[in-house]
Amino acid sequence: MRPIQAMRQVFIGGIGITKWGYYEDIRCYDIGSDAILEALEDSGLQWKNVQAAFCGSVYQDTGSGHQAIKEVGLTGIPIVNVENACSSAASAFRLAYQSVAAEIYDVVLVLGMEKMPRGPIPSTAFRDWELKLGFNLQPGNYALLTQKYMEKTGASVEDFSYVSVKNRKNGSLNPNARFQKPVSIKEVLESRLIAEPLRLLHCSPLADGAVAFILCSKEWLKNSHKKVSVEASVLTSAVYGDEYPPGDIIKSLKYPANRNLAQVSAMQAYEISGLGPEDVDVAQVYDAVAPGELWDIEEMGLCKEGDAPKLLKEGVFDLDGQLPVNTDGGLMARGHPLGASAGAQIYELVLQLRGHAGPRQVRNAKVGLAHAMGAGPNSAVTIVKT
Amino acid sequence: MKHLIEGLYVIPGTTGEKPYLIGSKCTACGELFFPKKEKGFCTHCQRKALQNVKLGREGVIQGFTVVSQPPAGGFYKGQVPYAYGFVDLFDGVRVWTQFAGNFAALETGKKAELVIEQICKDEKGDEVFTYMFKPC
Repeated sequence: MRPIQAMRQVFIGGIGITKWGYYEDIRCYDIGSDAILEALEDSGLQWKNVQAAFCGSVYQDTGSGHQAIKEVGLTGIPIVNVENACSSAASAFRLAYQSVAAEIYDVVLVLGMEKMPRGPIPSTAFRDWELKLGFNLQPGNYALLTQKYMEKTGASVEDFSYVSVKNRKNGSLNPNARFQKPVSIKEVLESRLIAEPLRLLHCSPLADGAVAFILCSKEWLKNSHKKVSVEASVLTSAVYGDEYPPGDIIKSLKYPANRNLAQVSAMQAYEISGLGPEDVDVAQVYDAVAPGELWDIEEMGLCKEGDAPKLLKEGVFDLDGQLPVNTDGGLMARGHPLGASAGAQIYELVLQLRGHAGPRQVRNAKVGLAHAMGAGPNSAVTIVKT
Repeated sequence: MKHLIEGLYVIPGTTGEKPYLIGSKCTACGELFFPKKEKGFCTHCQRKALQNVKLGREGVIQGFTVVSQPPAGGFYKGQVPYAYGFVDLFDGVRVWTQFAGNFAALETGKKAELVIEQICKDEKGDEVFTYMFKPC
Protein backbone atom coordinates (compact mmCIF):
# COMPACT_ATOMS: atom_id res chain seq x y z
CA MET A 1 0.00 0.00 0.00
CA ARG A 2 1.32 3.43 -0.90
CA PRO A 3 2.07 5.50 2.18
CA ILE A 4 -0.40 8.27 2.82
CA GLN A 5 2.29 10.91 2.22
CA ALA A 6 2.62 9.71 -1.38
CA MET A 7 -1.07 10.22 -2.06
CA ARG A 8 -2.30 13.52 -3.41
CA GLN A 9 -4.41 15.99 -1.50
CA VAL A 10 -8.17 15.78 -1.93
CA PHE A 11 -10.48 18.80 -1.75
CA ILE A 12 -14.17 19.26 -1.15
CA GLY A 13 -15.07 21.12 -4.32
CA GLY A 14 -18.81 21.38 -3.82
CA ILE A 15 -21.46 20.79 -1.18
CA GLY A 16 -25.24 20.46 -1.24
CA ILE A 17 -27.95 19.68 1.28
CA THR A 18 -31.73 19.57 1.55
CA LYS A 19 -33.81 20.78 4.45
CA TRP A 20 -34.25 17.86 6.83
CA GLY A 21 -37.89 17.17 7.58
CA TYR A 22 -40.60 14.52 7.53
CA TYR A 23 -42.02 14.51 4.03
CA GLU A 24 -44.94 12.43 2.87
CA ASP A 25 -45.06 13.29 -0.79
CA ILE A 26 -41.46 13.17 -1.88
CA ARG A 27 -39.39 10.19 -2.93
CA CYS A 28 -35.88 9.58 -1.72
CA TYR A 29 -34.49 10.14 -5.20
CA ASP A 30 -36.12 13.59 -5.23
CA ILE A 31 -34.15 14.81 -2.24
CA GLY A 32 -31.06 12.88 -3.35
CA SER A 33 -31.02 14.56 -6.73
CA ASP A 34 -31.70 17.98 -5.16
CA ALA A 35 -28.58 17.59 -3.03
CA ILE A 36 -26.52 16.46 -6.04
CA LEU A 37 -27.62 19.42 -8.15
CA GLU A 38 -26.80 21.85 -5.36
CA ALA A 39 -23.34 20.31 -4.86
CA LEU A 40 -22.69 20.46 -8.60
CA GLU A 41 -23.67 24.10 -8.79
CA ASP A 42 -21.57 24.91 -5.73
CA SER A 43 -18.57 23.21 -7.32
CA GLY A 44 -18.82 25.12 -10.58
CA LEU A 45 -18.44 21.79 -12.40
CA GLN A 46 -20.79 19.94 -14.71
CA TRP A 47 -22.18 16.42 -14.40
CA LYS A 48 -19.99 15.29 -17.31
CA ASN A 49 -16.91 16.03 -15.14
CA VAL A 50 -17.98 13.53 -12.48
CA GLN A 51 -16.17 10.23 -12.95
CA ALA A 52 -17.64 8.03 -10.20
CA ALA A 53 -20.28 8.11 -7.47
CA PHE A 54 -20.54 6.58 -4.02
CA CYS A 55 -24.03 6.77 -2.51
CA GLY A 56 -24.88 6.05 1.11
CA SER A 57 -28.34 5.02 2.32
CA VAL A 58 -29.73 2.38 4.68
CA TYR A 59 -33.41 1.75 4.09
CA GLN A 60 -33.73 2.47 0.40
CA ASP A 61 -34.26 -0.24 -2.14
CA THR A 62 -31.65 -1.69 -4.41
CA GLY A 63 -30.04 0.81 -6.80
CA SER A 64 -30.97 3.78 -4.63
CA GLY A 65 -28.03 5.98 -5.65
CA HIS A 66 -28.76 5.19 -9.28
CA GLN A 67 -32.34 6.43 -8.84
CA ALA A 68 -31.14 9.83 -7.66
CA ILE A 69 -28.43 10.09 -10.32
CA LYS A 70 -30.94 9.20 -13.05
CA GLU A 71 -32.56 12.57 -12.34
CA VAL A 72 -29.23 14.27 -13.10
CA GLY A 73 -27.36 12.47 -15.88
CA LEU A 74 -26.57 9.05 -17.31
CA THR A 75 -22.94 8.96 -18.33
CA GLY A 76 -22.02 5.36 -17.62
CA ILE A 77 -19.83 6.20 -14.64
CA PRO A 78 -19.52 3.61 -11.88
CA ILE A 79 -22.17 4.10 -9.20
CA VAL A 80 -21.78 2.13 -5.97
CA ASN A 81 -24.31 2.08 -3.14
CA VAL A 82 -22.94 1.99 0.38
CA GLU A 83 -24.74 0.80 3.51
CA ASN A 84 -23.01 1.20 6.86
CA ALA A 85 -25.97 2.17 9.03
CA CYS A 86 -25.58 5.64 10.54
CA SER A 87 -22.05 5.94 9.16
CA SER A 88 -23.12 5.28 5.54
CA ALA A 89 -22.47 8.80 4.25
CA ALA A 90 -19.03 8.94 5.89
CA SER A 91 -18.24 5.47 4.52
CA ALA A 92 -19.24 6.61 1.02
CA PHE A 93 -17.17 9.76 1.55
CA ARG A 94 -14.18 7.64 2.48
CA LEU A 95 -14.39 5.52 -0.65
CA ALA A 96 -14.65 8.65 -2.79
CA TYR A 97 -11.75 10.25 -0.93
CA GLN A 98 -9.52 7.22 -1.40
CA SER A 99 -10.26 7.02 -5.12
CA VAL A 100 -9.25 10.65 -5.68
CA ALA A 101 -6.21 10.42 -3.36
CA ALA A 102 -5.02 7.34 -5.24
CA GLU A 103 -5.41 9.24 -8.53
CA ILE A 104 -7.95 6.78 -9.88
CA TYR A 105 -10.37 9.66 -10.46
CA ASP A 106 -10.16 13.45 -10.36
CA VAL A 107 -13.81 14.27 -9.61
CA VAL A 108 -16.14 12.03 -7.58
CA LEU A 109 -19.66 12.47 -6.21
CA VAL A 110 -20.58 11.52 -2.64
CA LEU A 111 -24.26 11.23 -1.80
CA GLY A 112 -25.92 10.46 1.53
CA MET A 113 -29.68 10.26 1.67
CA GLU A 114 -32.58 8.69 3.49
CA LYS A 115 -36.31 8.69 3.54
CA MET A 116 -37.00 6.90 6.82
CA PRO A 117 -39.50 4.02 6.73
CA ARG A 118 -42.84 5.02 8.18
CA GLY A 119 -44.05 2.90 11.06
CA PRO A 120 -41.95 0.02 12.42
CA ILE A 121 -38.30 0.17 11.44
CA PRO A 122 -36.69 -3.11 10.43
CA SER A 123 -33.95 -4.55 12.61
CA THR A 124 -30.59 -2.87 12.64
CA ALA A 125 -27.79 -5.40 12.77
CA PHE A 126 -29.20 -7.62 15.54
CA ARG A 127 -29.46 -11.40 15.61
CA ASP A 128 -32.77 -13.25 15.71
CA TRP A 129 -32.62 -14.17 19.40
CA GLU A 130 -31.81 -10.56 20.34
CA LEU A 131 -34.79 -9.28 18.35
CA LYS A 132 -37.15 -11.71 20.08
CA LEU A 133 -35.89 -10.71 23.53
CA GLY A 134 -36.25 -6.99 22.82
CA PHE A 135 -32.55 -6.10 22.83
CA ASN A 136 -32.74 -4.08 19.60
CA LEU A 137 -34.20 -1.00 21.27
CA GLN A 138 -31.50 1.58 20.61
CA PRO A 139 -32.51 4.02 23.38
CA GLY A 140 -32.37 0.98 25.68
CA ASN A 141 -28.87 0.11 24.53
CA TYR A 142 -27.74 3.70 24.83
CA ALA A 143 -29.34 3.80 28.29
CA LEU A 144 -27.03 0.96 29.34
CA LEU A 145 -24.02 2.94 28.11
CA THR A 146 -25.38 6.09 29.76
CA GLN A 147 -25.52 4.42 33.15
CA LYS A 148 -21.91 3.27 32.84
CA TYR A 149 -20.91 6.81 31.89
CA MET A 150 -22.81 8.31 34.83
CA GLU A 151 -21.19 5.85 37.24
CA LYS A 152 -17.74 6.57 35.82
CA THR A 153 -17.96 10.36 35.71
CA GLY A 154 -20.55 11.23 38.34
CA ALA A 155 -22.58 13.04 35.67
CA SER A 156 -26.26 13.47 36.48
CA VAL A 157 -29.25 13.28 34.15
CA GLU A 158 -29.51 17.05 34.34
CA ASP A 159 -25.84 17.39 33.37
CA PHE A 160 -26.28 15.63 30.07
CA SER A 161 -29.71 17.15 29.46
CA TYR A 162 -27.87 20.37 28.70
CA VAL A 163 -26.62 18.73 25.49
CA SER A 164 -30.21 18.66 24.23
CA VAL A 165 -30.68 22.29 25.25
CA LYS A 166 -27.44 23.40 23.52
CA ASN A 167 -28.08 21.48 20.34
CA ARG A 168 -31.71 22.51 19.99
CA LYS A 169 -30.56 26.12 20.48
CA ASN A 170 -27.93 25.72 17.74
CA GLY A 171 -30.56 24.06 15.57
CA SER A 172 -32.74 27.16 15.82
CA LEU A 173 -29.98 28.97 13.89
CA ASN A 174 -29.86 26.28 11.17
CA PRO A 175 -32.49 26.70 8.44
CA ASN A 176 -31.86 23.12 7.29
CA ALA A 177 -32.56 21.47 10.65
CA ARG A 178 -35.81 19.58 11.12
CA PHE A 179 -36.33 21.11 14.57
CA GLN A 180 -35.79 24.83 14.85
CA LYS A 181 -37.38 25.56 18.20
CA PRO A 182 -35.15 25.58 21.27
CA VAL A 183 -36.12 23.46 24.26
CA SER A 184 -35.69 24.32 27.93
CA ILE A 185 -33.98 22.12 30.49
CA LYS A 186 -37.37 21.72 32.17
CA GLU A 187 -38.96 20.41 28.96
CA VAL A 188 -36.12 17.92 28.54
CA LEU A 189 -36.34 16.63 32.10
CA GLU A 190 -40.13 16.32 31.96
CA SER A 191 -40.32 14.62 28.55
CA ARG A 192 -41.60 11.04 28.36
CA LEU A 193 -39.36 8.30 29.80
CA ILE A 194 -38.30 5.84 27.10
CA ALA A 195 -35.60 3.64 28.67
CA GLU A 196 -34.30 4.69 32.05
CA PRO A 197 -32.68 7.18 32.36
CA LEU A 198 -33.23 8.39 28.78
CA ARG A 199 -36.25 10.51 27.96
CA LEU A 200 -37.77 11.51 24.64
CA LEU A 201 -35.86 14.79 24.40
CA HIS A 202 -32.58 12.99 25.11
CA CYS A 203 -32.99 10.95 21.93
CA SER A 204 -32.40 12.26 18.43
CA PRO A 205 -35.58 12.17 16.35
CA LEU A 206 -35.77 10.71 12.84
CA ALA A 207 -35.89 12.75 9.63
CA ASP A 208 -35.74 12.53 5.84
CA GLY A 209 -32.83 14.30 4.17
CA ALA A 210 -29.98 14.27 1.70
CA VAL A 211 -26.47 15.72 1.45
CA ALA A 212 -23.91 15.61 -1.35
CA PHE A 213 -20.27 16.47 -2.01
CA ILE A 214 -18.05 16.80 -5.03
CA LEU A 215 -14.58 15.61 -4.04
CA CYS A 216 -11.80 16.54 -6.40
CA SER A 217 -8.11 17.10 -6.93
CA LYS A 218 -6.73 20.64 -6.64
CA GLU A 219 -6.86 21.29 -10.38
CA TRP A 220 -10.63 20.80 -10.40
CA LEU A 221 -11.45 23.41 -7.75
CA LYS A 222 -13.52 25.99 -9.62
CA ASN A 223 -15.40 28.08 -7.10
CA SER A 224 -13.95 31.02 -5.23
CA HIS A 225 -14.57 29.67 -1.73
CA LYS A 226 -11.80 28.96 0.76
CA LYS A 227 -10.23 25.64 -0.16
CA VAL A 228 -11.18 22.81 2.22
CA SER A 229 -9.06 19.66 2.08
CA VAL A 230 -9.71 16.22 3.53
CA GLU A 231 -6.91 15.33 5.92
CA ALA A 232 -8.28 12.02 7.18
CA SER A 233 -11.23 9.79 6.38
CA VAL A 234 -11.13 6.77 8.65
CA LEU A 235 -13.45 3.83 9.23
CA THR A 236 -13.05 1.30 12.03
CA SER A 237 -15.53 -1.57 12.21
CA ALA A 238 -15.79 -3.78 15.30
CA VAL A 239 -13.00 -4.15 17.84
CA TYR A 240 -12.81 -7.40 19.83
CA GLY A 241 -13.87 -7.20 23.44
CA ASP A 242 -15.41 -3.74 23.05
CA GLU A 243 -18.64 -2.73 24.74
CA TYR A 244 -21.20 -1.20 22.40
CA PRO A 245 -24.73 -2.59 22.78
CA PRO A 246 -26.19 -0.29 20.10
CA GLY A 247 -23.84 -2.11 17.72
CA ASP A 248 -24.69 -5.57 19.08
CA ILE A 249 -21.31 -5.85 20.80
CA ILE A 250 -21.05 -7.17 24.36
CA LYS A 251 -17.89 -6.66 26.34
CA SER A 252 -15.56 -9.61 26.74
CA LEU A 253 -14.66 -10.08 30.40
CA LYS A 254 -11.61 -12.25 29.71
CA TYR A 255 -10.24 -10.19 26.83
CA PRO A 256 -11.66 -6.67 27.03
CA ALA A 257 -10.60 -4.07 24.46
CA ASN A 258 -7.93 -1.60 25.58
CA ARG A 259 -9.51 1.08 23.49
CA ASN A 260 -12.99 1.15 22.07
CA LEU A 261 -13.99 1.56 18.46
CA ALA A 262 -14.34 5.33 18.61
CA GLN A 263 -10.97 5.80 20.29
CA VAL A 264 -9.22 3.56 17.77
CA SER A 265 -10.71 5.46 14.83
CA ALA A 266 -9.83 8.82 16.37
CA MET A 267 -6.22 7.77 16.92
CA GLN A 268 -5.94 6.58 13.33
CA ALA A 269 -7.39 9.86 12.05
CA TYR A 270 -4.94 11.94 14.07
CA GLU A 271 -2.02 9.80 12.98
CA ILE A 272 -2.91 9.94 9.28
CA SER A 273 -3.62 13.68 9.30
CA GLY A 274 -0.66 14.64 11.43
CA LEU A 275 -3.07 16.79 13.45
CA GLY A 276 -4.00 16.37 17.09
CA PRO A 277 -7.09 17.01 19.20
CA GLU A 278 -5.56 20.33 20.24
CA ASP A 279 -5.71 21.46 16.60
CA VAL A 280 -9.46 20.90 16.28
CA ASP A 281 -11.41 24.20 16.16
CA VAL A 282 -14.89 22.81 15.66
CA ALA A 283 -16.34 19.30 16.03
CA GLN A 284 -19.50 17.52 14.93
CA VAL A 285 -19.87 14.43 17.10
CA TYR A 286 -22.39 11.65 17.41
CA ASP A 287 -25.29 12.82 19.58
CA ALA A 288 -27.75 10.00 18.83
CA VAL A 289 -28.56 10.44 22.51
CA ALA A 290 -27.62 13.50 24.59
CA PRO A 291 -25.03 11.82 26.88
CA GLY A 292 -23.45 10.32 23.77
CA GLU A 293 -22.12 13.74 22.81
CA LEU A 294 -20.21 13.89 26.08
CA TRP A 295 -18.53 10.50 25.92
CA ASP A 296 -17.89 11.07 22.24
CA ILE A 297 -16.00 14.32 22.94
CA GLU A 298 -13.84 12.39 25.41
CA GLU A 299 -13.29 9.42 23.12
CA MET A 300 -12.18 11.76 20.34
CA GLY A 301 -9.54 12.98 22.78
CA LEU A 302 -10.97 16.50 22.68
CA CYS A 303 -10.93 16.69 26.47
CA LYS A 304 -9.81 14.52 29.37
CA GLU A 305 -11.90 11.48 30.24
CA GLY A 306 -14.65 12.46 32.63
CA ASP A 307 -14.29 16.22 32.04
CA ALA A 308 -16.96 16.71 29.37
CA PRO A 309 -19.97 17.28 31.69
CA LYS A 310 -18.15 20.02 33.59
CA LEU A 311 -16.85 21.68 30.41
CA LEU A 312 -20.34 21.58 28.89
CA LYS A 313 -21.69 23.46 31.90
CA GLU A 314 -18.90 26.00 31.60
CA GLY A 315 -19.94 26.74 28.03
CA VAL A 316 -16.77 25.36 26.43
CA PHE A 317 -18.80 23.53 23.75
CA ASP A 318 -21.17 26.44 23.01
CA LEU A 319 -20.96 28.36 19.72
CA ASP A 320 -18.86 31.04 21.39
CA GLY A 321 -16.92 28.59 23.53
CA GLN A 322 -13.38 27.30 23.20
CA LEU A 323 -14.41 24.20 21.25
CA PRO A 324 -17.87 24.48 19.69
CA VAL A 325 -19.51 21.10 19.26
CA ASN A 326 -22.48 20.26 17.03
CA THR A 327 -22.80 23.81 15.84
CA ASP A 328 -25.68 23.03 13.47
CA GLY A 329 -27.77 21.38 16.15
CA GLY A 330 -26.37 17.86 15.77
CA LEU A 331 -28.56 14.82 15.25
CA MET A 332 -30.71 16.20 18.04
CA ALA A 333 -31.99 19.19 16.06
CA ARG A 334 -31.25 18.14 12.47
CA GLY A 335 -33.00 14.81 12.99
CA HIS A 336 -31.48 11.53 11.87
CA PRO A 337 -31.89 10.26 8.30
CA LEU A 338 -29.57 7.29 8.76
CA GLY A 339 -27.90 7.35 5.37
CA ALA A 340 -27.27 11.10 5.40
CA SER A 341 -26.42 12.17 8.96
CA ALA A 342 -22.70 11.51 8.79
CA GLY A 343 -22.61 13.66 5.65
CA ALA A 344 -24.44 16.53 7.32
CA GLN A 345 -21.70 16.63 9.94
CA ILE A 346 -19.06 17.11 7.24
CA TYR A 347 -21.27 19.64 5.41
CA GLU A 348 -21.41 21.83 8.52
CA LEU A 349 -17.64 21.61 8.93
CA VAL A 350 -17.17 22.87 5.36
CA LEU A 351 -19.55 25.80 5.98
CA GLN A 352 -17.62 26.66 9.13
CA LEU A 353 -14.22 26.43 7.46
CA ARG A 354 -15.42 28.51 4.48
CA GLY A 355 -16.76 31.16 6.87
CA HIS A 356 -20.32 30.63 5.59
CA ALA A 357 -22.04 29.48 8.78
CA GLY A 358 -23.82 32.81 9.38
CA PRO A 359 -25.15 33.16 12.93
CA ARG A 360 -23.51 29.80 13.79
CA GLN A 361 -20.08 30.90 12.62
CA VAL A 362 -17.18 29.81 14.80
CA ARG A 363 -14.31 32.29 14.74
CA ASN A 364 -11.11 31.21 13.00
CA ALA A 365 -12.31 27.72 12.24
CA LYS A 366 -9.43 26.07 10.37
CA VAL A 367 -9.62 22.42 11.41
CA GLY A 368 -12.83 20.44 11.82
CA LEU A 369 -13.51 16.91 13.02
CA ALA A 370 -16.63 14.85 12.36
CA HIS A 371 -17.41 11.58 14.09
CA ALA A 372 -20.25 9.19 13.34
CA MET A 373 -20.99 5.81 14.88
CA GLY A 374 -23.15 3.23 13.18
CA ALA A 375 -24.71 -0.13 13.94
CA GLY A 376 -22.40 -2.82 12.69
CA PRO A 377 -20.68 -1.46 14.55
CA ASN A 378 -18.75 1.27 12.76
CA SER A 379 -16.88 4.39 13.78
CA ALA A 380 -16.06 6.92 11.06
CA VAL A 381 -13.84 9.94 11.68
CA THR A 382 -13.26 12.68 9.12
CA ILE A 383 -10.85 15.58 9.57
CA VAL A 384 -10.97 18.58 7.23
CA LYS A 385 -8.76 21.64 7.08
CA THR A 386 -8.49 25.00 5.41
CA MET B 1 -42.70 -26.50 27.36
CA LYS B 2 -42.42 -24.00 24.50
CA HIS B 3 -39.27 -21.91 24.29
CA LEU B 4 -38.91 -18.55 22.56
CA ILE B 5 -35.47 -19.51 21.27
CA GLU B 6 -34.10 -23.03 21.11
CA GLY B 7 -30.59 -23.95 22.13
CA LEU B 8 -29.80 -21.17 24.62
CA TYR B 9 -30.28 -23.21 27.79
CA VAL B 10 -31.00 -26.70 29.09
CA ILE B 11 -33.73 -27.65 31.55
CA PRO B 12 -32.46 -30.95 32.96
CA GLY B 13 -34.91 -33.80 33.16
CA THR B 14 -33.56 -35.07 36.48
CA THR B 15 -35.18 -33.63 39.57
CA GLY B 16 -33.10 -31.26 41.61
CA GLU B 17 -30.85 -30.09 38.81
CA LYS B 18 -31.56 -26.48 37.88
CA PRO B 19 -31.59 -25.05 34.34
CA TYR B 20 -28.34 -23.68 32.93
CA LEU B 21 -27.19 -21.64 29.94
CA ILE B 22 -25.10 -23.27 27.22
CA GLY B 23 -22.06 -21.35 26.10
CA SER B 24 -18.93 -22.00 24.09
CA LYS B 25 -15.48 -22.25 25.62
CA CYS B 26 -12.30 -21.92 23.59
CA THR B 27 -9.92 -24.74 24.45
CA ALA B 28 -7.06 -22.70 23.01
CA CYS B 29 -7.43 -19.27 24.68
CA GLY B 30 -10.04 -19.87 27.39
CA GLU B 31 -12.53 -17.31 26.10
CA LEU B 32 -16.21 -17.90 26.85
CA PHE B 33 -19.15 -16.98 24.62
CA PHE B 34 -22.87 -16.77 25.17
CA PRO B 35 -24.86 -17.74 23.21
CA LYS B 36 -22.81 -20.69 22.02
CA LYS B 37 -21.23 -20.27 18.62
CA GLU B 38 -22.34 -22.60 15.85
CA LYS B 39 -19.14 -22.81 13.82
CA GLY B 40 -16.71 -23.76 16.58
CA PHE B 41 -14.52 -20.81 15.53
CA CYS B 42 -13.12 -18.57 18.26
CA THR B 43 -13.43 -14.92 17.24
CA HIS B 44 -10.81 -13.98 19.79
CA CYS B 45 -7.87 -16.23 18.92
CA GLN B 46 -9.01 -17.20 15.44
CA ARG B 47 -8.76 -20.95 16.04
CA LYS B 48 -11.41 -23.59 15.46
CA ALA B 49 -11.24 -24.72 19.09
CA LEU B 50 -14.66 -24.11 20.66
CA GLN B 51 -16.58 -26.61 22.71
CA ASN B 52 -20.07 -26.37 24.20
CA VAL B 53 -19.95 -25.72 27.91
CA LYS B 54 -22.44 -25.58 30.78
CA LEU B 55 -22.34 -22.07 32.24
CA GLY B 56 -22.75 -21.18 35.90
CA ARG B 57 -26.16 -19.96 37.03
CA GLU B 58 -25.11 -16.96 39.03
CA GLY B 59 -23.51 -13.62 38.42
CA VAL B 60 -23.62 -9.93 39.19
CA ILE B 61 -25.94 -7.35 37.60
CA GLN B 62 -23.75 -5.03 35.54
CA GLY B 63 -26.36 -2.66 34.18
CA PHE B 64 -30.08 -2.53 33.46
CA THR B 65 -32.69 -0.28 31.95
CA VAL B 66 -36.47 -0.32 32.33
CA VAL B 67 -38.05 0.19 28.94
CA SER B 68 -41.41 1.86 28.45
CA GLN B 69 -41.96 1.22 24.76
CA PRO B 70 -41.55 -1.83 22.53
CA PRO B 71 -38.65 -1.94 20.07
CA ALA B 72 -39.41 -1.30 16.41
CA GLY B 73 -39.92 -4.06 13.87
CA GLY B 74 -42.59 -6.07 15.66
CA PHE B 75 -40.19 -8.89 16.59
CA TYR B 76 -40.70 -8.51 20.32
CA LYS B 77 -43.89 -10.07 21.67
CA GLY B 78 -43.29 -9.77 25.40
CA GLN B 79 -44.60 -7.40 28.02
CA VAL B 80 -43.96 -3.67 28.14
CA PRO B 81 -42.54 -2.25 30.33
CA TYR B 82 -39.66 -4.72 30.44
CA ALA B 83 -36.20 -4.56 31.93
CA TYR B 84 -32.99 -5.75 30.31
CA GLY B 85 -29.27 -5.35 30.69
CA PHE B 86 -26.22 -7.41 31.56
CA VAL B 87 -25.23 -10.01 34.10
CA ASP B 88 -21.56 -10.91 34.49
CA LEU B 89 -21.51 -14.61 35.29
CA PHE B 90 -18.92 -15.69 37.86
CA ASP B 91 -17.54 -17.90 35.07
CA GLY B 92 -16.24 -14.78 33.32
CA VAL B 93 -18.71 -14.00 30.56
CA ARG B 94 -21.16 -11.10 30.22
CA VAL B 95 -24.68 -12.18 29.33
CA TRP B 96 -27.36 -10.03 27.74
CA THR B 97 -30.62 -10.75 29.52
CA GLN B 98 -34.07 -9.62 30.52
CA PHE B 99 -34.77 -9.31 34.22
CA ALA B 100 -37.60 -11.03 36.05
CA GLY B 101 -39.47 -10.00 39.15
CA ASN B 102 -39.96 -6.55 40.59
CA PHE B 103 -37.92 -4.00 38.64
CA ALA B 104 -37.55 -1.87 41.75
CA ALA B 105 -35.34 -4.62 43.19
CA LEU B 106 -32.77 -4.24 40.39
CA GLU B 107 -29.45 -2.72 41.33
CA THR B 108 -26.08 -2.74 39.62
CA GLY B 109 -23.71 -4.85 41.68
CA LYS B 110 -26.41 -7.14 43.09
CA LYS B 111 -26.13 -10.89 42.69
CA ALA B 112 -28.58 -12.48 40.26
CA GLU B 113 -29.45 -16.04 39.25
CA LEU B 114 -30.82 -17.71 36.14
CA VAL B 115 -34.56 -18.35 35.99
CA ILE B 116 -36.86 -19.65 33.29
CA GLU B 117 -39.88 -17.39 32.90
CA GLN B 118 -42.83 -16.95 30.61
CA ILE B 119 -42.29 -14.09 28.19
CA CYS B 120 -45.46 -14.24 26.08
CA LYS B 121 -48.16 -16.50 24.68
CA ASP B 122 -48.15 -17.87 21.13
CA GLU B 123 -51.04 -17.72 18.60
CA LYS B 124 -52.57 -20.83 20.21
CA GLY B 125 -52.54 -19.22 23.63
CA ASP B 126 -49.77 -21.49 24.92
CA GLU B 127 -47.14 -20.04 27.24
CA VAL B 128 -43.71 -19.37 25.75
CA PHE B 129 -40.62 -19.33 27.95
CA THR B 130 -37.17 -17.80 27.96
CA TYR B 131 -34.23 -17.41 30.30
CA MET B 132 -34.03 -14.34 32.49
CA PHE B 133 -32.08 -13.31 35.55
CA LYS B 134 -33.52 -12.38 38.91
CA PRO B 135 -31.81 -10.67 41.84
CA CYS B 136 -31.14 -13.11 44.66
